[in-house]
Amino acid sequence: MLYPLIVIIGLIFVYTARHYLFTLNRLFGFQRHPYIDIDTADWPKVTILVAAHNEEKVIAHILTALMSAHYPQEKMLVIPVNDRSTDRTREIIDRFCNDYPGRIRPFHRAGGKGGKAAALKDAMNLVQTEVILIFDADYTPGGGLIRQLVAPFFDPEVGGVMGRVVPLNVGTNLLTRLLDLERSGGYQVDQQARMNLRLVPQHGGTVAGVRLSALREIGGWNDNTLTEDTDLTYRLLLAGWKTVYQNRSECYEEVPETWQVRIKQIMRWAKGHNQALVAYSLPLLFGKHRATLRERLDGFLLLGVYVMAPLTLIGWILALGLFYEGVAPLHGVIALLSFTAFATTGNFAAFFEIAAAARLDNSRQRICLLPFLVLGFAVSIFCVSRACLSQLLAPITGAQFHWDKTERFRTTP
Amino acid sequence: MSPALATVLLVLLAGIVFVLPLLPALIELRLKRDAYPLNVIQQYSGEIRHFSYGFRIYIEALLEPLEKCVVSGTALKGAMPDGDEYLLLGNAGAALFSSAGKTIPNCSSIVATGVDMVLPDGVTFTKEVYAANKLMSGKKNVFRALLGEKDIHLGRASTINRWAHAVGALRAGPDCELHGRISSDCEIQLDSGCEFQRLNAPRIALGHLKAEAADAAPKTAETSLPVDRRLVEEDLEIKAGEVVTTNIVTRGRLHICTGARVLGSVKSNRHMTVDANVSVEGSLISASTMHIGRDCRISGPIIAEHGMAIDTGTRCGSPQTPTTVTAPTIEIADGVVVFGTVWARTEGHVVPQR
Repeated sequence: MLYPLIVIIGLIFVYTARHYLFTLNRLFGFQRHPYIDIDTADWPKVTILVAAHNEEKVIAHILTALMSAHYPQEKMLVIPVNDRSTDRTREIIDRFCNDYPGRIRPFHRAGGKGGKAAALKDAMNLVQTEVILIFDADYTPGGGLIRQLVAPFFDPEVGGVMGRVVPLNVGTNLLTRLLDLERSGGYQVDQQARMNLRLVPQHGGTVAGVRLSALREIGGWNDNTLTEDTDLTYRLLLAGWKTVYQNRSECYEEVPETWQVRIKQIMRWAKGHNQALVAYSLPLLFGKHRATLRERLDGFLLLGVYVMAPLTLIGWILALGLFYEGVAPLHGVIALLSFTAFATTGNFAAFFEIAAAARLDNSRQRICLLPFLVLGFAVSIFCVSRACLSQLLAPITGAQFHWDKTERFRTTP
Repeated sequence: MSPALATVLLVLLAGIVFVLPLLPALIELRLKRDAYPLNVIQQYSGEIRHFSYGFRIYIEALLEPLEKCVVSGTALKGAMPDGDEYLLLGNAGAALFSSAGKTIPNCSSIVATGVDMVLPDGVTFTKEVYAANKLMSGKKNVFRALLGEKDIHLGRASTINRWAHAVGALRAGPDCELHGRISSDCEIQLDSGCEFQRLNAPRIALGHLKAEAADAAPKTAETSLPVDRRLVEEDLEIKAGEVVTTNIVTRGRLHICTGARVLGSVKSNRHMTVDANVSVEGSLISASTMHIGRDCRISGPIIAEHGMAIDTGTRCGSPQTPTTVTAPTIEIADGVVVFGTVWARTEGHVVPQR
């Protein structure tokens, strides 16, 4: 029991160090925003795909926002990808098509494989531009966002672009407030630090862009995965394309307001991420491709984030088992020192990251909620572990992956 | 003390110790003092003229009295609704900046002029200045912000602290310091020795230009840019006169030799050197530093993550396809023309020809 525990502690130490590295870089390091100052250019034609499955509550908001974007009208085409909706989504989209002739071309999908990746894959037949942006229907892009997300594509090394997601329904309840803090840490610190350190910023599949030639080179959208964004990040990386993160390209989104919806969401993310872990770990670490050593290592650690939840649980069980067996290497001195060191630094690495993010965002009082993050952490660790276990048992139980749509909470316009 | 009471007190104490660190969290959860979404400005578009547009609206109420001052040839003092004082100059108003033959060094009112105006040397304007007609500043004038409906000419060693916008041309004499946003709807001309941060105009001329060069617009790329790319792991040299028909990405240094022509975009992850007379139809990007030689023609955006120097005679963008030149520090030699935006995050300089 001791050696597996030492391995797990070693892994936790690596992730702790990673959290601190990112946070310190964000607080004191050189910040990279190379494309944000491009404000005048011969802007390329762009296609904006809006993924929509039963989105009657939100689809009108995003289409209205896109129609007032500061981008040359003749160079921007919006394609709402209406994926087998059974509510009023189709009707709302068609109304917008009539109101804005030539600027919106709908793609109504009546059948086929479920899931966002499959819908985007089918919609690609309508795309004729080199630059593609992707939004989920619950997002509300601001006026300058389209130009900010297109600008990095002037760099011929860039295959994917990711903007920052900002929760809109923050004040609804404790969950939305915790998710606001988590998003803040994830984007303001994690993603931007990866950008600064030339590591692997993750493509999020929304408030994002992809280069058509890069997408074709890697074989298009993968509809066999639950997280097409993570999958895309790694396939682009392996093919020598960079994904860049634009921290100042912010866009409002709606976060889950109930724990059931949140649990479904995080379990889907965990399963999809683990699919990518299995598919790309070895090629990433040992394959012959253009990724740098630091990209290989960071990319591998990023793939492993959801596996750390069950490993931590196993670590707790092993530690308890060893305690009751009376195992105390070096008379417990090492254990005591390790426990003290972990309690003072390791335990708080993620919280430190989120606190730093709140500080960078200039939010004052919301930092007070940090202790409640333990609640979100506890829910996540069990849900993710459950997702991992069901994935491991899938070959025996015969369970099939299926795509759960995230429920919307906005009032119908 | 009875054991029961001791137990109750112990449990109570333990409860207090447990809840105490959570108190700020509980208070915030209850009061929702910071439960609003982060402030994402939905209509933000990075418009360089944002402040000048706002100022024009702010002083709209002064335009009619200013017109009366012009007709009557008088000056008028007053206060805005927010308490800021203003000074309207209808004629020969510059005399108001001098007293007993000596120039008054500071003007703390918003100044609006309705006629062509020549300002005396050495005056500091701590509030905005509005010029309905041409404005010619003296030497070493300091402006907080400046809006001109026609041409603006800044005298030697003048300073703009926040922003300046001219509907006509904006010319800055030698050694001016232009902080913040400087824009014109026609043209910006900066003399040698000027410092700048963000410039935007259909045409930006830096330093002294030869007349024929100044008017010669670069050739515009009519065809679409290539999508194929060539990845190079180490340093790369594009030979003199070579024509490259793809995009190029190098992990090492990149040297584009004299007279080469690139039909796509170019990216190097280390220092990039572009020799004289090179033409690039796409963008030019360095993850490090960049030096662009004499008489080059670059059509797309030019980005250097750490610093950039551009030699004389180079043209960036064209009147039909404006572009952006951006780096933390930019050093531009006399005789460079940019169509669009020059944005030096830290500082930019116009330097004499090397």
